[in-house]
Amino acid sequence: MRTAVTCALIVLSGLAAFSEVSAGFRVVTSEAARRLAVREHAPQIPDAMLAGATAHSLHDDLARDGRIALVDFIYTRCETVCSVLGTEFQQLQQELKRRGLQDRVRLISISFDPADDANALARYASRVHADALVWRFERVADPQALRRLLDAFGIVVVPDGMGGFVHNAAIHTLAPDGRLIRIDDVGEARIALRSALARAQVAPR
Amino acid sequence: MRPPRYAFLGATLLATGTAPSLRLWLEADMARHMLVQFPLLIVAGAAFASTLPPRVRAAVATINAHGLAGLLLCLLVSAFWMIPRALDQALLSPPMEIAKIATLLAAGGALQLSWRPAGIVVQIFFIGNWAWMTAVVGLLYQDMSTRLCNGYLLDQQIIAGQGLVVLAIALPTAFIALLAKRGVLAGDASETTQGCPTGSTVQ
Repeated sequence: MRTAVTCALIVLSGLAAFSEVSAGFRVVTSEAARRLAVREHAPQIPDAMLAGATAHSLHDDLARDGRIALVDFIYTRCETVCSVLGTEFQQLQQELKRRGLQDRVRLISISFDPADDANALARYASRVHADALVWRFERVADPQALRRLLDAFGIVVVPDGMGGFVHNAAIHTLAPDGRLIRIDDVGEARIALRSALARAQVAPR
Repeated sequence: MRPPRYAFLGATLLATGTAPSLRLWLEADMARHMLVQFPLLIVAGAAFASTLPPRVRAAVATINAHGLAGLLLCLLVSAFWMIPRALDQALLSPPMEIAKIATLLAAGGALQLSWRPAGIVVQIFFIGNWAWMTAVVGLLYQDMSTRLCNGYLLDQQIIAGQGLVVLAIALPTAFIALLAKRGVLAGDASETTQGCPTGSTVQ
């Protein structure tokens, strides 16, 4: 009898622990948990000084611009997942311009590599034929601010041992009020765009 | 071995698994994290449990008939730390890291206190359950083309998956070999019939 009670207690605490780590038996990976949390809570992203072509605060920029921003994190030396993201953003840019939607949605690529300076970003931007009105490239000069920004977006960057980085790649939807409202997988750019447009029509511009 | 030696062994293993620099090295790789650090902590827990005086063992036995509660705890702890998000959190959050060390030590202790009382039938049930669970997780780790842990690279995940499958095969095999060596499989009825009332007698 005592053993049965003990077993029941163990099962109950086990269930609590499993439920906690899997957000109520819905996810098993941190990436899925991050997307679920964002969809449910839309966290506010901390402000950071961006240093792209010109220096400016992320929050001011978002508020002044008023467009929904689709954000990705990259580094310019990246050969793998960032190129996929780059291609995807390139197609998004084309799509936005073709449908005349560039006044509602824009694209921002933020580099997390300290080695990426303004020149590297500019070279990368011209390589992917970025139209500065639609697609901007940014970096964060202050390492601590970058850290906070990556944490808020849930980006984990791991050095790959060959001078590069491995990082979780996704398309982040950022509202003009600085809230992260959605995360979509690489390859789901159209879904990200559609939901961004739905959002942009509701939000006053 | 005498209890003080077990205590020393446990402390050594625990220190090996958790000393700051060693811990970082062990946790930097998914396979080392799961296949080296976890077993170190489990064996440390078992060694600590070996030092418990008979009085405490008797008290534990009253809530652990046939080792059921202890082995159940082991299975749940083992399953929990195979969840990719749990691994990620252990890397990022100190409370989760402490919980990890504590639960793995507890699982090792529970294993030590439960294994003999369990008897062969419960032992086989436990090993079987643990092995298929571990093998499935190991296969999933290898099968996924995406990274499950944000903290680890894909090739580490594949190696960790292979290691889990190897463990899931090796431990039951070793267990069966041990049973065979003890003559249990040859039909030594004294052990097989324990906890198995309808066990047929073999000539």
